[in-house]
Amino acid sequence: MPRPLGFTTLCVLAAIRDGSGYGLDIVASTGLPSGTVYPTLGRLKKHGLVTSRWEDQRLAEREGRPRRRYYALNAEGERALAEGADRMADMLSSLSPGSLRMAR
Amino acid sequence: MGRIALRAFSWLVPAGRRAEWLEEWQAELEALEGFRRSGISRGYPGVARFVAGALPHAAWIRMEGWTMDSVAQDLRYAVRVLRRSPAFTAVAALTLALGIGVNGMIFSLVNGLLFRPPAGVLEPERLVQIARSYDSAPRWDNWSWPALRLIGEEAEAFSDVAGYATDQVVLGRGESTEPAAACYVTGSYFETLGARPALGRLIGPQDESAPGTSPVVVLSHGLWLRRFGGDAAVVGSTLEIGSVAHEIVGVAAEGFAGVDVLGTPPDVWLSALQRVIASGTVPSDAWGSSWIEGFGRLREGTSFLEAEASLDAISMRLREASDMNEDMRVLLAPGVGLSPQERARGRTVSLLLSAIAGLVLLLTCANAAGLLLGRAAGRAAEVGVRQALGAGRARLTRQLLTESLVLALAGTLLAVPLVGWAGRAIPAVFPFPLAGSVGADVRVYLFLVGVGLAAGLLFGTAPAWISARRDVARTLREGGTTGGRRHTRVRDALVVCQLAISLALVSGSLLLGRSLLNARDAQPGFDPDGLLVGFVNLGATGRYTREQGPDFEDRLLPRLEALPGVAGATLASQAPVLGGHSRSTVQPAERPDDPRAGFEAEFTSVTPGYFEALGIRLLRGRTFRAAPDEPDPVVVVNDALASLFWPGQDPVGREIVRGEQRYRVVGEVAGVQMRTLRERPRPAVYYLHRQAPQTNVVIHLRLRSPGAVTPSALRGAVAAVDPDVPVTGITDLRAGLARSMGETRTFGILVAAFAGLAVALSVIGLYGLISQGVAQRSRELGIRIALGAGGGSLMRLVMGRAFALAAAGTALGIGVSVALGTALRGLLYGVSPASPWALGGAAALLLGAALAAAWLPARRAARVDAMVSLRD
Repeated sequence: MPRPLGFTTLCVLAAIRDGSGYGLDIVASTGLPSGTVYPTLGRLKKHGLVTSRWEDQRLAEREGRPRRRYYALNAEGERALAEGADRMADMLSSLSPGSLRMAR
Repeated sequence: MGRIALRAFSWLVPAGRRAEWLEEWQAELEALEGFRRSGISRGYPGVARFVAGALPHAAWIRMEGWTMDSVAQDLRYAVRVLRRSPAFTAVAALTLALGIGVNGMIFSLVNGLLFRPPAGVLEPERLVQIARSYDSAPRWDNWSWPALRLIGEEAEAFSDVAGYATDQVVLGRGESTEPAAACYVTGSYFETLGARPALGRLIGPQDESAPGTSPVVVLSHGLWLRRFGGDAAVVGSTLEIGSVAHEIVGVAAEGFAGVDVLGTPPDVWLSALQRVIASGTVPSDAWGSSWIEGFGRLREGTSFLEAEASLDAISMRLREASDMNEDMRVLLAPGVGLSPQERARGRTVSLLLSAIAGLVLLLTCANAAGLLLGRAAGRAAEVGVRQALGAGRARLTRQLLTESLVLALAGTLLAVPLVGWAGRAIPAVFPFPLAGSVGADVRVYLFLVGVGLAAGLLFGTAPAWISARRDVARTLREGGTTGGRRHTRVRDALVVCQLAISLALVSGSLLLGRSLLNARDAQPGFDPDGLLVGFVNLGATGRYTREQGPDFEDRLLPRLEALPGVAGATLASQAPVLGGHSRSTVQPAERPDDPRAGFEAEFTSVTPGYFEALGIRLLRGRTFRAAPDEPDPVVVVNDALASLFWPGQDPVGREIVRGEQRYRVVGEVAGVQMRTLRERPRPAVYYLHRQAPQTNVVIHLRLRSPGAVTPSALRGAVAAVDPDVPVTGITDLRAGLARSMGETRTFGILVAAFAGLAVALSVIGLYGLISQGVAQRSRELGIRIALGAGGGSLMRLVMGRAFALAAAGTALGIGVSVALGTALRGLLYGVSPASPWALGGAAALLLGAALAAAWLPARRAARVDAMVSLRD
């Protein structure tokens, strides 16, 4: 993405890194509205920071539900998240003490 | 519901990605529903909130291809294309300007009536109206001086409480006399409003601490410029008002006109306390005289609901303070400017006007869409080539829609001067004087832009979609010259819609016109023909008390009767329909203590000969004799009051009570329409002028012939009694009644203007459609001629099509016409909303106009050269 990543985008990346794999999961763990999360996922995919795949149809059928699209961070995404978290930490440390959860 | 919404939103997503998008969202929705069913809701949003996010996601995917560069490219292209056909662009933009401008004008009025805060007032959203009511007789009424004072002292919900009352006064003396609108205010009025002066100071609490000293006045900015030439030295000088010298302490800020939306903007502000003292009343005792409108500013941190909840205690205090306040209750309404009843009426009128303006916008959009489709035929080759070069349908649609939006923008810019003009024109046709401004402000311009955008999308979407959907190969093969049957069908539908709307507007204007004619010929319970009236406000001169009113009247009457051309003269405290209306509570004497038996009846104080002069029919008993022959307090009642108090019985000889006074009924007359022509006559009581003196005097002259007495002759008769008493509002009563149908007249003018516009646009649209049809069918017409068809049959063919379209428009329009007529019901007089006369007349007009529009193209068809058309 041509611009530095914003706070909501970093939240979405962190949620994916921490194990939230599909859209609804990311909405629940970040608390962001779905109308923000899905376009953000679309942008991240477009700029090659996350990948997506459809889960195995048979697995979904076994659990009696439709298949889901899962998202995962790639190396580029990990790097962007780390850079963004550092930047956020620098900004916040100039405002208040305490560390960012994302930076860890 | 969620699944239905997702399906609907999916239509925004480009076709190639739609299936996957829908699959993902539906899977997520099912997961969410599963979690909620099993009671796991922590962190998960509600279903509706979750699904709502699908719409921005779909829109985002749709707009993914939109870059600043591509949007700029579309804009440049659109401007280039429109510049290439200046005639089309001019016609389309002007048509749109009319539709958008009409909506802007109507919104300008609605904004001024309902939304715009009063000028020069601080934080108007924290002001509330305070009104007087009673548990047994709910109303919305004003306050007495001591009652408002008590509310100001006791109501903790308000940081300030203030009051005002408007009236007419007379400025100056002798030749420099000028009637003016006055606003009597409490000392807290300007402080409560947070108003600032332009010069000097405003009336404040200090002007109430030492009443009786020199009374003060604040000038309006307009009066200061008009009468004093904007001279800054005016502060400290004196101005005679009602024959009393007032010190000018300041000038109000420019544009400040108090809080009322309706009514004449004040020219001067005076002290209300001074007025109470000047009337000879001790202010703290004046519980029985209610004349001040109350309002307050909510204390910081107090909400409107909290203020309402605190009212019970205030109502109790008022009841304890005076016997006259039995049953009294305090009511609040948010905001100032319009009472709740006025606001409700204003909303109804605004909705009606907006609906009519919306019809006009639909019509102009249909016209513009028709023009675009007509032009699309000639651009088929251009579209075909672009498709061949790889432009997708979505891209083409976006570009064509951009052209429509640019046209709409041009129409919006052209509409701006129209809206600016409306700010000056509207007050001239509005049925009531407007104190507030109805000019354009930021809100109006934003509305204009919004309407322009909506119009652009409305008229541009369908033509863009249709035009972008062309078969490339077929278009290039045919050389891009065909019109397309689909285009023609859509254009037919658009013209039919225009004709339907035109029918509704023409029918509406016929209904309103008929109402005005009916009102003009109405018989309102008295004979209005040959009756001249004039209004005298003795109180405004400051030199007459109420008790002195009858003396003035007795000196005036002989002079009026002596005027040449006068068959009879009488004086009363109010005139039918035109003004001076007053009500007073009366009840039957046999039930003096029953609060439910009281009724607020029309109050009219008259000189003997009133009923005879006005031609009011006597039903029972007698009318008033001259004062020396009426020693006892007597009244005449109308049939409505008689049937209310003594149903089915003779009221003559019975007694009524008004305040402390008993009156004997000597006669019963037929009801007269006192307030408006559309209401039934209310219960009314007529009093003899010496027994119920008033300072409002309305002169009624029965003339021997029209124009027998001129206004200056009437003024001369009054001036001969007292030269400092002006006469205002001199008018022929029949003409005055016609003017009282003000709302009907305003709507009649507007709807007639819109109807004219609608018919013109429909005729132009129909003419264009038929003309193009003839041009496209020239080959077919040539064949018919070659096979022996005469010119007459070809004309009938073409006219027949126009007639069919007009008939379809009429059929469709009947429903719209009846709906519009029903919406206008409150303004109609003596005519039904679904009047066959109005519908038939409108249909005949429309059919005639349609045939006229088709005449020239039909003649052209009859003169087609078969050889030429077959060769081409």
